[in-house]
Amino acid sequence: MANVARTIQGRFVAPLIGVLIAAGASAQPQAAPTTLVRYSFDDDLIDTGPDTFAVFQSGKGSVRLSLVYRYSGYRSVEIRDIPGDKEFPELQGYFPLRSKGKLYLHFAMMTTDAGEELNIALAGPKWFALRKDGIAFWLKTAGGYLTAISDSMPKKLFAIRAFVWYVVDAAYDIDAGTYDLTIRQEGLEKPVADVRGQANAASQPGSQIDKFSFIGDTGTDDSKVVYYVDDVLVGVDEAIVHQPFVAPGRRKLFFDYWLSAQQERAAHPEPLPLMSMADLGIGSAQTATLRQDGAGELLGQALSGKLATVPDDLPDRSRTILQSVIAWRDGARALRDAHAEVALARFDRASQLSPSAPLPQMDAVLALANLARWDEVELRLAAIVPQWRDDPRLPAALAMIGLARGDLDAVERQLREGAESRGLLAEEYFLTLLWKGDAARAEAFAESMLARASASDASLWRERLGDAAFLTGDIQRARGYYDASLAEHPRPRSVWLKLSDVYFKLGDLEQERTYRERVYGALRAER
Amino acid sequence: MSRLHAAWLLLLPAFTPHSGYGQDPARLQQWVAAHDVASIRALGRPVLPKLVQLYEAARDDSFKARVAQTFYELGWESPEAKRALMRDVHTSNHDLRLQVQWALGRVSNDQDVVDTLIANMRSDSNPLFRDKAACALAYDQIHLSEQQKVRLFAALIEALGDDKEDVRRIALQALQIHTGQTKGFDPGASYADRNQKVKVWQTWLAQYKAGL
Repeated sequence: MANVARTIQGRFVAPLIGVLIAAGASAQPQAAPTTLVRYSFDDDLIDTGPDTFAVFQSGKGSVRLSLVYRYSGYRSVEIRDIPGDKEFPELQGYFPLRSKGKLYLHFAMMTTDAGEELNIALAGPKWFALRKDGIAFWLKTAGGYLTAISDSMPKKLFAIRAFVWYVVDAAYDIDAGTYDLTIRQEGLEKPVADVRGQANAASQPGSQIDKFSFIGDTGTDDSKVVYYVDDVLVGVDEAIVHQPFVAPGRRKLFFDYWLSAQQERAAHPEPLPLMSMADLGIGSAQTATLRQDGAGELLGQALSGKLATVPDDLPDRSRTILQSVIAWRDGARALRDAHAEVALARFDRASQLSPSAPLPQMDAVLALANLARWDEVELRLAAIVPQWRDDPRLPAALAMIGLARGDLDAVERQLREGAESRGLLAEEYFLTLLWKGDAARAEAFAESMLARASASDASLWRERLGDAAFLTGDIQRARGYYDASLAEHPRPRSVWLKLSDVYFKLGDLEQERTYRERVYGALRAER
Repeated sequence: MSRLHAAWLLLLPAFTPHSGYGQDPARLQQWVAAHDVASIRALGRPVLPKLVQLYEAARDDSFKARVAQTFYELGWESPEAKRALMRDVHTSNHDLRLQVQWALGRVSNDQDVVDTLIANMRSDSNPLFRDKAACALAYDQIHLSEQQKVRLFAALIEALGDDKEDVRRIALQALQIHTGQTKGFDPGASYADRNQKVKVWQTWLAQYKAGL
């Protein structure tokens, strides 16, 4: 099992400790600094996983341990990009989400070709895009210069030299969305870059961070950079209690991550599917109106998301219909993107424009459930349920609301009768039983579904049987189901990770690693 | 995990080809019709003139749209493809227009491509074509140098001052996709407020330009 304590050379730690102490000295009240990430690459603490890092090298490029160059100790990581292979290699690391306070990043890097592109970034839950909670801190080489992307523009720092180590120290203020950056060149006393109060990549105060990344180009597939990274350290200015590692590369079992993700998904209801134009208050009269006004095609465009605004010259009666459709469509998109406030406003706008449309009203209730505004959920639901009584989507909607509220008994009552006949409900019902801790009934239900499932669905139900067995502690049986489910599984990633847990529980660490590394990759020494 | 990895590609999706040659026009036509871009890509850049020939010889707009879509997905620069596509950049054929607008920035970084898309975004009578021209400006100008990006941003910032609110809105969206920022600009705000925020954008652009 991975040891949490990670050894680092004193030469490496000293500058960062200085930064952390300085930060502590200026902060009131004082907080004990915590190290979130620390990799020297000299020890055997290189297990990939969701709480350490992942290695991607599906193209011709590579990410591997190197004995040839290092800043400290005896190894570094070499990142080698190959143009034209439609991929880029990546070392991508993870740490607990940081939403406030200061964060310190330290690493050493050396490129072998100043003209080739490389990119280094800290990013948040919105990944590597210029937006809030996306890229926060971004360094890249461009035209022979090391460049920082700040306030959405490239700012040259200095002409970078090949085969020279640079030590990067950034103190990032999450709340302000700014950072101080110092870069020292090996052998020089004075820093080659020392900038203060720089806006973060997209000038977004409060942009959250939970990952770092080292890559070649960003998708242009034209970089042939080979560069080295050593002594990566990420720290914060407050004490944080780390959960211990329970297995290599993870602080929770993959199974628990998966289960949490399902619960998270269930807690955020999605909009109901559109089944007919009547859902949007468009009956024969409205259809005729649109035809008369030559707007029939515009309705199709509005529904498919291809129409953002209604032409000014359209008569008001058709404009209102189309504006309502666009508002509902925008709301549905916002709800899927977890922007429930925006979704609610758009659904209410759609209802205002088309009061007889039932779907925006129900979707507004689902948006309120996302926002946990339960009093309003009850009030609005009571008003609209009578007109939904015969609609097959009502049980699903009520179940989603129940799951979001965490009222599993109510969800079970809601789903019990209809679950076996409806695919989506069946999965929700199975998960509800698992969350209630009733693995035996979950297993019995999964078996009944397996008996009638198509070939591809059978794989999914075998996986679910494995889930139930895993939860009851019958690990061998879980392994059998998971193995069998791989035969025609449409998305085997979750099964590989669960098999990694299974083999960890069985004490077979070789197989544990094999399945884990299918997803998170492996960091190995060069041959 | 490949989905996570691909997140970097949000920044700039583009691929370059494998080498190879030996295209048969009939087979190429089948591949285009079947949307078999992988087979076409495997032929490498020498396939581009053949694709241009197919495009120019096509009598059917829906097939031309498929060729344009192929140019888009290949993402290879080609003056010939640009020249052919530009002839249809004002077509009223719905599918062809969208495919041409999207493909242009992926075959060329010429200034007239950006200028034409800006003009379509601001002045086309069809709001869908205006909207999709803005999409092309936001996502598909993949070969622009930093200096060329400055000109694109300048044109988008200028469009923030357009009389039409929907043009201001889509210009802002394109800027936001490029930069992650709005600088507080509200397309529906008063003229004075908008003008003030346009000045903020102009200051930003001047800094951007100065740093190159």
